[in-house]
Amino acid sequence: MQLLWQILVNGVLLGGLYALMALGLVLVWGVLNIVNLAHGALIMLGAYVCYYFFTGLGWDPFAALPVAMSLLFCLGYLIQRWVLNLVIRAPMFNSLLVTFGLEVVITYLAQLLFSADFRTVNPSYAGANFSFFGATVPWVRVLAFGVALALTFALWLFLDHTRIGRAIRATAQNLVAARLYGVNPRQLYALTFGIGAALAGAAGALYGVVSQINPYIGAGLTGKSFAIAIIGGLEKSLYVLVGGLFLGVVEALTALYIGPTYTDVVSFGILVLVLIVRPTGLLGRTA
Amino acid sequence: MKTRLLCALVTLLLSSKLSAAPIELGASVQLTGQFANTGRYYGDAYQFAVDKINAAGGVKVGNSREKLSLKILDSQSDVNLSVRQYVQLVSQDKINFLLGPFASDFALADSAISEKYNVPMIQGGGASDQIFSRGYKFIFGTLPPATDYFQSTIDLMSQLKPAPTTVALLYADDAFDVSVAEGTRKAVGKTPVKTVLDQRYSSKASDFNSMLSLIKNQNVDAILVAGHETEILNFIRQAKSLNVNPKMYSFTVGVPSADFRAALGSDANYAFGMTSWVPSPALKDEYFVNAEQFANEYKKRFGYEPDYHAASAVADVEAFVKAIESANSLDPVKVRDAIAKLDFDSLYGRIRFNTAGQINLPQTVVQIQKGKLVAIYGPKGLLEKPLYPMPDWGKR
Repeated sequence: MQLLWQILVNGVLLGGLYALMALGLVLVWGVLNIVNLAHGALIMLGAYVCYYFFTGLGWDPFAALPVAMSLLFCLGYLIQRWVLNLVIRAPMFNSLLVTFGLEVVITYLAQLLFSADFRTVNPSYAGANFSFFGATVPWVRVLAFGVALALTFALWLFLDHTRIGRAIRATAQNLVAARLYGVNPRQLYALTFGIGAALAGAAGALYGVVSQINPYIGAGLTGKSFAIAIIGGLEKSLYVLVGGLFLGVVEALTALYIGPTYTDVVSFGILVLVLIVRPTGLLGRTA
Repeated sequence: MKTRLLCALVTLLLSSKLSAAPIELGASVQLTGQFANTGRYYGDAYQFAVDKINAAGGVKVGNSREKLSLKILDSQSDVNLSVRQYVQLVSQDKINFLLGPFASDFALADSAISEKYNVPMIQGGGASDQIFSRGYKFIFGTLPPATDYFQSTIDLMSQLKPAPTTVALLYADDAFDVSVAEGTRKAVGKTPVKTVLDQRYSSKASDFNSMLSLIKNQNVDAILVAGHETEILNFIRQAKSLNVNPKMYSFTVGVPSADFRAALGSDANYAFGMTSWVPSPALKDEYFVNAEQFANEYKKRFGYEPDYHAASAVADVEAFVKAIESANSLDPVKVRDAIAKLDFDSLYGRIRFNTAGQINLPQTVVQIQKGKLVAIYGPKGLLEKPLYPMPDWGKR
């Protein structure tokens, strides 16, 4: 019983980070209809920003997080403005190919710049933990979970309750109508992709604190984010959180009861099932 | 006039090609991609060995001395690409002999090419017994068998006080780690130590929280992990954050590498590992004087410390030189037979292949103590006092 409780706590904490990883992907997918295969590579870049601020300047990783977000926002804005906007009217397949290419380029440049050495962001409190009803809870995971929750909530507020946020959603729903109301889609798309990249940057900064980083972590993280996007659905940022938590808990339980070889089999199996049974996501409206 | 000039040019080109025709060694190595971190040892060490041997005059064949040349292709950590590149090396580039890639999965696939084309390959990156259990004649390996990796650690365990009574074995699902687990399972079975957890995990795993919680729950004394450096880094960090305190843990890879210790800082302390090579001045070498000097020169040239992967790679090149000189020919089959009969001392250790084509070197147990790598237990017994049991994370 004690063990099960510990595993559930582990799973929930992992799920929070998963949700933040997927959040940017879901935003870009939902609004721009681009499945950004370079999303994981952007997470990787965020992790490196945090790493260099931590080791080079001695910044606390949580203080470096806004820096990673800002830098990634700029990069995302530029990518959308000068690359993806050129293919935004083309079929989805083209943007898939472009983001796939971006992933390869970013990863390769990262190896040239940062080397293939494995890095960690290891602040003095990285191993600190406390006991919660008998379960050992690592502080950094709780902090990461908190940041993930806060950013999800902030994104929801932004999209639902600000002018720009409503413009973004309007553009996603009906481009022609939004244009008639004076929305500049090119600008707005770049802004959206920038926000998506900034969220990836935040996820990366947190990822480096709990895991090792190297230039090749991107592809796996894109896969994971993709699964969460499918499971949670693209409708609301809060649904992503549910998708992330669900996957985190399922993976933790699979590792314990079925075996850690099968975590990917189970999580992607669920993805297939969700696509068949509820194509709009577990919480999405049925079509 | 023009044709004559052309003829002269062609003759010149041909003759220059002929007179400088060096002995070509080829390899496909993971210079980029997820295995680049270890792959670089092979790219760099092959080049270093070739340069050294050429500076010493090259290889003596007949009455002349031939230079070595090296062709390295980047497999981008993709097994399928690696196989295609080996086909290209033997069928298009017509290289003379093959050096190997890093990792058992790669060596397992690539050795099929050396066998098919009857071109000998000496590889220093694949230790899995599977590579040598198929009766292939043209594959040779300079890493000791994977099944023996934990043997010295298990020997050491019986001498520790209080000796561990329970052990957890975790291993990744690739060829090398599965072989390690098979050997370890047998070796532990011969001791009174009880295996309470024997679990395979996916090579892509980054989260070990479930396994660690289970280990903590069962209060395991010793944890043996056969995996990749990325996984082991995560494993140790997550063990700390979940406050898992076994009496000891040991890992197949990572511990001897400098970048592993750099990534973990003081959290790397107390971790046990193993290495088939210690850069000691006692290991004499014809080209590099001795292993210590090699390690110093290597670090100066490439900017990072070599570990056993690099030493093993140098031994591969030297083994070809010795075999070619003893066969006194570049004929692949004659050289193959000469390799099988090799017996010489190198900076890596004694090179002598068994009938399956693999060498055997004892694994020295190492431990990180105060950020330094310390050799703890070798074939002759205890070398240095191990720090055991590990202090709890909270008391470090």
